[in-house]
Amino acid sequence: MTAAVPPNGAPSPGRRADTGTAVAPADRPASGAVAGRPVLSVRGLVKDYPGVRALDGVDFDVAAGQVHCVVGQNGAGKSTLIKCIAGVVVPTAGEVLVEGVPLPPGDPAAALARGIATIYQELDLVDDLPVADNLFLGHERRRGVLLDRPGSRRRARELLARLGHADIDPRRLVGELRPAAKQVVSVARALTRDARLLVMDEPSAVLDGHEIEAMFAVVRRLAAEGVGVVYISHRLEEVAAVGDTITVLRDGRTVATGLPPSTGRADLIAAMVGRQFTEVFPDRDPDHTLGPVMLAVDGLARRGVVADVSFEVRAGEVVGLGGLVGAGRTEVLRLILGVDRPDAGTVTVDGKALPPGRPSAAIRAGVGLAPEERKSQGLWPGWDLVRNVSIADLRRFRRHVLLDRRAERRAVADRLADLRTVPADPDRLVTELSGGNQQKVVLARWLLRQCRVLLLDEPTRGIDVSAKAEIYRAVRSLADAGIAVVLVSSELAELAGLCDRVVVMADGRVTATLPAAEATEAAILAHALPEGAAAP
Amino acid sequence: MSPTATPATMGAGGTPVDSPAARARRRITLQEAALPAVVVVLLVAGTLADRDAFLTRDNLLTVLTQVSVTGVVAVGMTFVIATGGIDLSVGSMLAAASIAGGLVGEQQSAPFMLGAIGFGVLLGLVNGVAIAYGRIVPFIATLAMFAGARGLALWMSDKTPISLLRLDVVRELGRGDVASIPKAALVFLAVAGGGWVLLNRTRYGRHVVAVGGNREAARMSGIRPTTVVLSVYVLSGLCVGIAAVLLSGRLGSASPVSGNLLELDAIAAVVIGGTSLAGGRASVTGTFLGVITFGLVFNILNILDMPTELQQLSRGVIILAAAALQRRDR
Repeated sequence: MTAAVPPNGAPSPGRRADTGTAVAPADRPASGAVAGRPVLSVRGLVKDYPGVRALDGVDFDVAAGQVHCVVGQNGAGKSTLIKCIAGVVVPTAGEVLVEGVPLPPGDPAAALARGIATIYQELDLVDDLPVADNLFLGHERRRGVLLDRPGSRRRARELLARLGHADIDPRRLVGELRPAAKQVVSVARALTRDARLLVMDEPSAVLDGHEIEAMFAVVRRLAAEGVGVVYISHRLEEVAAVGDTITVLRDGRTVATGLPPSTGRADLIAAMVGRQFTEVFPDRDPDHTLGPVMLAVDGLARRGVVADVSFEVRAGEVVGLGGLVGAGRTEVLRLILGVDRPDAGTVTVDGKALPPGRPSAAIRAGVGLAPEERKSQGLWPGWDLVRNVSIADLRRFRRHVLLDRRAERRAVADRLADLRTVPADPDRLVTELSGGNQQKVVLARWLLRQCRVLLLDEPTRGIDVSAKAEIYRAVRSLADAGIAVVLVSSELAELAGLCDRVVVMADGRVTATLPAAEATEAAILAHALPEGAAAP
Repeated sequence: MSPTATPATMGAGGTPVDSPAARARRRITLQEAALPAVVVVLLVAGTLADRDAFLTRDNLLTVLTQVSVTGVVAVGMTFVIATGGIDLSVGSMLAAASIAGGLVGEQQSAPFMLGAIGFGVLLGLVNGVAIAYGRIVPFIATLAMFAGARGLALWMSDKTPISLLRLDVVRELGRGDVASIPKAALVFLAVAGGGWVLLNRTRYGRHVVAVGGNREAARMSGIRPTTVVLSVYVLSGLCVGIAAVLLSGRLGSASPVSGNLLELDAIAAVVIGGTSLAGGRASVTGTFLGVITFGLVFNILNILDMPTELQQLSRGVIILAAAALQRRDR
């Protein structure tokens, strides 16, 4: 990040509006909340990861009985913020105060003891245990040395009734419950520890419209009882429906706080995007002409994940797939390669339809994928660069039945040099390389394979700025060489700056296809935000 | 040829000079040097224990012959473990393969060998199908074969060994010499050499380790993990079949109770050889040295007239020590 000066002085609580945000911070509405000392105060929170500053000065207050919404695009720092509050992550600077008293950093037990309950997106419930056992997991009710099962069940019933869900039987296994009911159980579990502050991370992600309404009711009930709620979401409609006040994060900082729930959608988007991206995107070759359609995706569908996804990519074209986390972009790439099998739809490469669910056939046809989870899906950590690069194309080095290892090593070294990998020494272990160079190793694999369709899933995730520029240049030169590139990215600037066309997805469907001229960050984001699952 | 070109940095044929890479290589070398060092120590120890009896050509060749059955099986086991799997059924399969060979070839060597090896391959195929396509955990699938193949051997043989004294070629393989080198030892060396080439110098071997190291990445690189997984159990069955011929030749009979605890010896040798039980790292050289290590220890204890219980105990100690050594290296 450039010019990142952490606010180490005494930052003014409440508001921080910089860099010409279109939104004027309003005074925090009292909203019937208990006045006085805030339950939670976040002060100047900064968190550095190697090469990346995830949080860069976050300040806000949550009053008792207030539903405080935090919005921001992917990578704005929401998840890191939650982890700092929960004590799972130690912040680099700044502090978290509960009722005016600082929380010891990096101590989840202390956060729990002080009444902070966090409900993560992936609910941490044990599916094979009944509801009651889940509620008291870790602080089981006992009589002597034995578990007090009737007592836990009775108390569970009370808590569930308090949340308006007496219909959930404490004896049922959590695994048998619907997602919405599981969420209620998670909230109830927070209450067994006398939570005074409830942090909810994208609680609506797994719920449908009706269930979201029911969850809102639970949230409102808790707020009415004086519990402070931090509600993290990217669904702006929900924020308007359930929130008392809104804080906007961008690039790890608070850019606006204390906004009223009536703040307009356009204003919120402007605040979320707001910045001028500093990365340098390579210029397109002016003489560059697109070739024939190389990849055609038609009506691709997989139940519960994506529906009716169609688009085409021509040789030499970079097509972006935009959308929020969970919009189904990664899933589309997996379906194209055949890692997952589609329920419907076809994938055609250079005029030939691929057999569904067969990655080996797709790769033979010229498709290559650089997966999002580089380490777990793209690389062999214990291997040197030679073997990591050549693995998809060993046939080329076969002399009779044996591998010509000298030719293998030479070809790999050349491809690594093409991509300006540092170090270019093919005998290094891949784990000794930086994230950006590890990504180049994956690219080199497909370069060696001479793939014609390259699928890139978040190729710059976790990579520092200068390495990003290198990756951008590599992607551009691959396209200039005639490869059809599909680029999934959560960074709007990347999509806007690098792609010839951007296909935007929301909730598993294509919501827009924007040519480069129209693919501004705001336009992409506007199409990426799902429309009114729960209108106010 | 290559779609991109940045001439400025092209053609870096790569002369590694940087120290971290060199360090990494040295680290690996050290790890691989540990077991040869153990073998050398054992040779010295044996010499000190009884120079006249131990350090003779005959005695050392005897060691090689004694470990040949376990060794051949361990080479196949190396491939299985390289994929992150396990084959508990090798001992039972060896008995079943011997009996099957004896049933079709009681009079002639060629049918016996074909029968034994063919049946070993067949049982390995059953394991492979159950694991690769039936998605049964290797431990469970081969545990079932462990029980089943033993039962099959007892049933097919009516619980009695089949005499193979008339099979000259098989007897020769088990007990004979070429240029005063035991044939069984030569077969072991050939299988180990072939296994080394297959693992380290062929596309297939690379795929085996790739699937064991990162199945998802392998799949996304165009490798078919199911095919690879299936193949290693067939390979294990093939090695078992060869071992069955060697053992039957040595004993002069096919016995339904042979191969007892063979799986433990083979797995132990593979593991102390540095092949990772989690998959993704495999060494046929290591397996070879592992087999030799056990062979030497027993030989020395025998020369010293130590009781057999001590041999068992020493096996436990060796496994534990090797595991600890590997843990430190990780």
